[in-house]
Amino acid sequence: MTTPATPAAAVDRPDLSVRLGPLRLEHPLINASGTMEILDLADTLGPGILGHPPVAAYVPKTVLLSPRAGNPPPRILETPAGMINSIGLPGEGLETFVNERLPRLLALPCALILSIGGFSLQEYASLAAGLHSALKHWEADWPARVGLEANISCPNVHSGCASIGSDPQETLAVVAAIREVWPGLLIAKLTPNVTDIGAIARAAVQGGADAIAAVNTFKGLVVDRETLRPWLGNITGGVSGPAIKPLALRLVYEVFQAVEVPIVGMGGVASVQDVLDFMACGARVVAVGSAAFRDPWIAQDLADGLAYELAARGLILDELVGLAHRGQVSGCT
Amino acid sequence: MNGAMPGLAAGIPRQSRRGRVLSRVTGNESTGSLSWLTIEVPGWAEARPGQFALLQAEPSRCFLGRALSISDEEKDRVSFLVDPVGEGTRELCSLSAGDPAWVLGPLGNGFDLDEVVSGCSPPGTSGTTSDKRSRLVVVAGGAGVAPFPLFLSRLADRKTARAAHLEVVALLGFRDASRAQGAIPVQGAVRRLTESGLSCRVVLATEDGSLGPPQRVTDLLETELRPGDQVVVCGPPAMSAAVWQICSKTADVRTWFSLEANMACGVGSCHGCAVALADGSFARVCHDGPVFPGERVFGGYVAPVAGGKEPA
Repeated sequence: MTTPATPAAAVDRPDLSVRLGPLRLEHPLINASGTMEILDLADTLGPGILGHPPVAAYVPKTVLLSPRAGNPPPRILETPAGMINSIGLPGEGLETFVNERLPRLLALPCALILSIGGFSLQEYASLAAGLHSALKHWEADWPARVGLEANISCPNVHSGCASIGSDPQETLAVVAAIREVWPGLLIAKLTPNVTDIGAIARAAVQGGADAIAAVNTFKGLVVDRETLRPWLGNITGGVSGPAIKPLALRLVYEVFQAVEVPIVGMGGVASVQDVLDFMACGARVVAVGSAAFRDPWIAQDLADGLAYELAARGLILDELVGLAHRGQVSGCT
Repeated sequence: MNGAMPGLAAGIPRQSRRGRVLSRVTGNESTGSLSWLTIEVPGWAEARPGQFALLQAEPSRCFLGRALSISDEEKDRVSFLVDPVGEGTRELCSLSAGDPAWVLGPLGNGFDLDEVVSGCSPPGTSGTTSDKRSRLVVVAGGAGVAPFPLFLSRLADRKTARAAHLEVVALLGFRDASRAQGAIPVQGAVRRLTESGLSCRVVLATEDGSLGPPQRVTDLLETELRPGDQVVVCGPPAMSAAVWQICSKTADVRTWFSLEANMACGVGSCHGCAVALADGSFARVCHDGPVFPGERVFGGYVAPVAGGKEPA
C-alpha cells in the first residue's frame, strides 16, 4: 500500500525498546510460534523480510526431538472472527533444525526465541541441552540474542505438551529440568485450557522461568456442514483470532496478578488497540499470530501504531504495562 | 486498518516491502453462476500460470483471504474466476468496479510451461513417432478452469510450443449449463492459441446433460487420452483422483495437478493446507505447490475416489 512520503524525523518516535530478561527488543511486537515461516516468506515475498523482519524477536515453529509429519488434513478452517487449526507440530527434528535452519535464523538482525516441545520431561531437557551446546559454540554473548520458549501448551498433540502445562507439578518439574541445562532467557508458554492459570504461572516461575507467554490456542471443534461430522482430521483443534481476545486478556490479567516476571501476551491481536489492551493487562511483549496470516507485515505496522498511540496519549511504555491493574480512573464523565 | 502512521515508520521502506496490497476492483462480469473479477493491483509482479493470490473484500466479515487462481493478467490488472461457494467468495462476487479489495500475490509455484512443452517433442524427432508427446491435454472441472486462460495465453506466446507443433485439447467439465459459462474465458484464450498457429480443441461436458449427453470430464478423458500425452489438471479432489486413475492406466502419460486446499496464509507459514503425498509425507499446497507432478501426489497407488471437502 502506498503512503504519503513523510520524513521519518517529522515526529519524535517514542522509545519502544523493551527488555525481556537478557534480550533487548527494538519494540514489543513479536510473532507467536508456529505462525511465521520467515525463511519461506522470503521465497515468496523477497529477501527484504530477512534484512528487516517485521518482528522484534523471531519465534520459529516449535522444535521437537524427532522429525514429525504433523496431523492428518484437513488442518484449518476459518471460524467466526478467527480460525481453528490442528497442525500437530510438523517439523524436521532437533538435529536437522540445528544443522540446517538455526544458522540461517541466527543471521537475522533481531532477537531469536526458540520454541521447544516434547512428550516428556526428558525430551524438553534434551532439546534445551542440545540447543545450548549448539549456541555456546556460536558466540560468547549468545544469551543476549537468543532465548528459549518451552511450549507446554500445544492442544494438538495427544500426550506431553499441553498435558504437562495443565498440571502445576508437571509444569514446575519440566521448567526446572530445562533450567538446569539452559542458562539463557527461559519463557514458559501456557495453555488457556486450565481452571487456574495463575497456579500454572506460579509453578513455572518457581521452576525457574524468566517470563510467561500467555496464551496458546483454545481447544475447540468444528463440524463439517455437509456430513455433520468433525471437520478437522484430528477432530479437535486450537481456536485463535479476534474471537479469543477477551478470553486471552482475562488470562493475561490473572497471570500479571499471579507472578512478577514479564509476560508475553497473545490471543487474537489484530489492531493497535489490541496491543494497548494486552499491555494494559500486563503484557510487556505482545505476539501476533493468526492476523499475520492475512498480513505478513502486521507486526511492524502495529509497532508503528503503538508509537503513535503512546505519543498521542502522553504515555511511556513502562506506564502502559499493567495500567489496567492500577485502579479505576477517577473523575471520568 | 490499524492506525499505522507513515511518519513514524521504521525499518524497511514501505515501497520495498512486498505484502498484501489494497487494490481496486475494475470490473466484475458474471459468467453464469461464476464471477470474472478484475482487480488493479499496484506493483503487481508478473505471474506464472497456475499461481494464485489471496483475496479479501474490504471491509469483510471474514477473517482471512481466499486463495484464488490467477486467471489472466494484463500489466497490473489481474482477473480471477470466482465461484461463490462460501461467505468469503460470495463477498468477492458481490464487489463492483471501484470497490477496494486486498490482494496478496502472486503466490505458489505455478505450472512450469518449459517443462510441459519440452515433453512435447516435435514430429520426426529421433526415437519418437510423429504423434508421440505432441499433445497437451487440459483437464478442468468447475472453477478448476480458472488457471487455464492464463496458461493457454502464455502457451500462445511460446516459440517452443509452436516449434513442437503442439496440439492442445481442453476437456472442461461442469455441473450444469450455468456453471459451464466458466468456459468462456478459456475459449477466449483458445482463439489466441489458434491465431498463433497452434491447434486447439475445446470439449465441454455437463453432468446434468444440458450440453450434450450427461457426462463428466473424466468420461471425455477416457475417450480422448492417448499414450504419450502431457496432461495438466485442475479441479475438485475427487476429479483429480479419477483423472489420475485414467492417466496411470495409459502408457507414457505425464501429469501435473494443481491442487486445492483451504489456506490461511498462502505463503508457507501456517502448514494448514497440507496434503498427503504418495510417499506419506505432507506438502504445503501454497508453498510447495499448488502444482505437483501426478506421481508425487498419487504415486503408483490408484487412490479410491473419495469426496473432497468443500472450500469455505
